[in-house]
Amino acid sequence: MASSMHLSRLRKWFLASPPIEFAISTLKELLIGALRQGPIPRHIAFVMDGNRRFARSHGIETVEGHNLGFEALARILEVCYKSGVQVVTIYAFSIENFKRSKFEVDALMDMAKVKLSQMAQHGDLLDRYGAKVRVLGRLDLLKPDVLAAVNKAVDLTSRNGDRVLNICFPYTSRDEITSAIRDTVEDYSTPLQPALSTNAAARTPFSESHIVHNIRAQTLGSKLQDTHSDTESTSAESAASGEDAILRNDLPNRVYENDSSFSSSTTLHIGQQDGYPHKNASQTTTPNGESPVYMSPETISPQTLSDHMLTRGNPPLDILVRTSGVERLSDFMLWQCHDNTEVVFLNVMWPEFDLWSFMPVLLGWQRRISKSRQNPDAEGDFAGDSTESSEEDADSVVVRQGKVKAI
Amino acid sequence: MVSQELRDNYRQNKLSASDRAKLIKPYLPDPSDLPRRSRPAKTNSASQSRRKPRKTPIRTFVKSQVHRLVYALTHIIFGIVVRLLQAYHAVVDRVFAIVYHHHRTPELIRKDVRGLKRLPNHLSVILNLRAEDDALAGLMDEVAELAAWSACAGIPQLSVYEKTGVLKSCIPALHQIITTKLASYYGSPSQQPTLQLFAPHHPVHGGTPSNPDHPSLTLLLLSSTDGRETMVDLTKTLAEMSQNGKLSYEDITPELVDAELSEIITQPLQADSDTGRVTASIKPEPDLLLIFGSFLKLDGYPPWQIRLTEMYCTGDRSHGMNGDGEAVEYQGFMRGLWHYAGAQMRFGR
Repeated sequence: MASSMHLSRLRKWFLASPPIEFAISTLKELLIGALRQGPIPRHIAFVMDGNRRFARSHGIETVEGHNLGFEALARILEVCYKSGVQVVTIYAFSIENFKRSKFEVDALMDMAKVKLSQMAQHGDLLDRYGAKVRVLGRLDLLKPDVLAAVNKAVDLTSRNGDRVLNICFPYTSRDEITSAIRDTVEDYSTPLQPALSTNAAARTPFSESHIVHNIRAQTLGSKLQDTHSDTESTSAESAASGEDAILRNDLPNRVYENDSSFSSSTTLHIGQQDGYPHKNASQTTTPNGESPVYMSPETISPQTLSDHMLTRGNPPLDILVRTSGVERLSDFMLWQCHDNTEVVFLNVMWPEFDLWSFMPVLLGWQRRISKSRQNPDAEGDFAGDSTESSEEDADSVVVRQGKVKAI
Repeated sequence: MVSQELRDNYRQNKLSASDRAKLIKPYLPDPSDLPRRSRPAKTNSASQSRRKPRKTPIRTFVKSQVHRLVYALTHIIFGIVVRLLQAYHAVVDRVFAIVYHHHRTPELIRKDVRGLKRLPNHLSVILNLRAEDDALAGLMDEVAELAAWSACAGIPQLSVYEKTGVLKSCIPALHQIITTKLASYYGSPSQQPTLQLFAPHHPVHGGTPSNPDHPSLTLLLLSSTDGRETMVDLTKTLAEMSQNGKLSYEDITPELVDAELSEIITQPLQADSDTGRVTASIKPEPDLLLIFGSFLKLDGYPPWQIRLTEMYCTGDRSHGMNGDGEAVEYQGFMRGLWHYAGAQMRFGR
């Protein structure tokens, strides 16, 4: 034990000695410069997992572990931005984490506030670096003082260059997807001014009355539950599925028809069902009395939803790294991990994560991409170039329009 | 790097702003490395006067050549390491294939999973349709093998994701093939587990379990249309309802989306609604997702359901150089189950 302590101290001293330090930093520079020669992922996401476990296994305070994790983040951001990655997304705090002990949540919030205000203090340095900070998530769940720090950091870096650091702060992916759906629905249910009458009856597999029913079941369930949790849906769901059986028989849509319903009672608030829709119907009709004209819901595409996600405008996710050997996404970037994202689970704790453990991931990705570029028939076609060119096209179109206007 | 006392100060949160600036300085790029951006005029003139004598075309040329050389070298070395690892794993894989062979005996498969602490209740598998001529037949055989192994190992729910959805168009044929496969494992039909096969928006195929104690297997076929497109469909319906005033968008909660998506994915279309039998149902969120491929790629798998799913990739162990999809093999399946249970596979049962 004592000898290993001595050894590690000796190693530290050795690594910190000026010539060695110089050699290591030169080697790092060289490697990063070399990495730049190949294809570079445009968007990388990290789940910074393992701070607590690292602290526990090394016998230090949890807060200390989080601090070391922050150092690791600085290290890895350096590697990413120097090698040319445009967007880095990190998972800092999940909505689920609010369920941890109040003490720890407060400590984490304090840390976030301190780090963000420190960032704000060094605005000039960040400016030199050129990374915009964005905070993704449910900002309304934050305390006002933390929110102020968030806004300050975001404002301060908003004029920076094209690099982006996305901090997912109180975030879960399901919440993000739901918000995207809600925002899309909101967009599509604001009446259009010009006449664009498209009343195409959509035949989707979802039945409207069923959705109404689910909502009712949930409000019922949450009333019973009293404390309405935001992401855990078990009790509300079970209430819903218990009640689901009731209405099924008289639904026109056969998808939802279910035979197991005969045993359950059919007496539950059928009357309420009539009253419910009218309440909202009165809100949306225009004061003129005419029926308003909307965009056709048929034009909604996966791209529409992508544009309503919190990561809108970012390039598609190329690599997702999760440290600490846990092999789950844990409600992070579900929508974004879609087509060609390489998900990597590494067996190192986040505070130990550095260039040396990140290199194999990057090299493997480069190898795969350059292979698939050589023979595009094989799997994993790289879409980066095509989107870039389309962006350029869009730019040139804008320029041309500008010219036309100028003329 | 940073001196020790600075670091100690940092630990104790005693740093002043200038100390912190010192702390991050080594991580920042040289100002000259940065691409020129439009800056305020006064700094611009100052930096330009400094930048001019720094133009070193030869040095930058040599530097870029060195970088290119290092890039090539690292990739050669990395390639060799990857190949060596692949060869090693291929050998290990062959040994496992001999040691752990199922011999189409349910007892042997049961023995292989007996020591495991936990088994997934709902196993999901991503398969690829290969580019060969008889790809569909091969794929259906793989599904049948997986179904048989899952049934033998005692996994009651299995879902198979295949991107194109070609499996959904031949459910009756697939059911026939799986039944034949199960017969070759179990023997007489009375000992076979009851099989229910369905896909979203398709009627369930296969008998219902006569008594709940009898082992059964529910098999769900998924394709990329059950992922993002289904969510788009839901959004369309919700938008239409909202336009008609039947719903206000505040009502769209994660619970509502979850309930709708889970049901659409996990409940089959009813073939005959007036027989009062129990329908097939499946847990919407898989416990374990097995990817038979060289790296972990979700490839359009339904995103909503995999929030807490453990993922395991069998890895790049292909013996051929085609590199296009991985063969579905028993030892890969077993390795996934052992990994899920937090155990290591060893030589010798």
